[in-house]
Amino acid sequence: MLVDLLYTCFAVFSVLGALGLIIFRHPMNGAMSFLITLISIAGLYALLSAKLLFALQLIVYAGAIMSMIVFIIMFLNIQPEELPAEKTKVIYLVGGAVAVLPVAFFLIKVIKRLPNMPISFASEGFGGVKEVGLIFFTEWLVPFEIVSILLLVALVGAVVLAGKREKNK
Amino acid sequence: MIHDYLVLSVILFCLGIVGVFARRNVFTVFMSVELMLNSANLAFIAFARLHQNMDGHVLALLVMAVAAAEVALALAVVILLHKQTGKLDTNVFSLLKG
Repeated sequence: MLVDLLYTCFAVFSVLGALGLIIFRHPMNGAMSFLITLISIAGLYALLSAKLLFALQLIVYAGAIMSMIVFIIMFLNIQPEELPAEKTKVIYLVGGAVAVLPVAFFLIKVIKRLPNMPISFASEGFGGVKEVGLIFFTEWLVPFEIVSILLLVALVGAVVLAGKREKNK
Repeated sequence: MIHDYLVLSVILFCLGIVGVFARRNVFTVFMSVELMLNSANLAFIAFARLHQNMDGHVLALLVMAVAAAEVALALAVVILLHKQTGKLDTNVFSLLKG
């Protein structure tokens, strides 16, 4: 089936991208690899018929956030010799995997207890802009306002942090 | 099937944890945190689809906004630290040690 094929492709690409992120030495390679993960996750959102989230994942995450990270990486102009040596990286990767594996098995076991619903047809307009917006601006109005304040504070904080150096000179 | 999405989200979350554990490059650690946020979003949306309820979409939107705020602040801090120390090693950034 086409949906299963698409799911398999996106899942494999997202896991490969995440593996690349934690394995590549230079952060630029890691960022490009992480971008593959983000775009694959956007595809998974589309398969889950979350239309608004699909668009926003591409625009906000893969577009804005990742381009900001890549911009900063290029702005700092990191040479390979400036990177931390990370001689024990492989040991830490294997050790971290061993430490995390029981947690993963436990979580997967929990998931297997849930009802396994095959992807049926979603109701008309599920995940569309209008429907999500209606819920957002009626039931979730207070969190929305709190997040807007958080974004304002982050904006002011970033400007203060970035501008402090000029003042001290 | 909904289980596949949840298992994928667990796998991505664990990869993010391993990235935070094992790497010392501050950008890689930072993007691993983003990966964990993304896997949480995937779980939210899978559950929203399971229950045919769009509250999960709203929560995923809020997580995205928080991630955007986090990126703006964290990158400003990283630039300042890089200017001060000239390094990208998270072990060097132990300024809060007493």
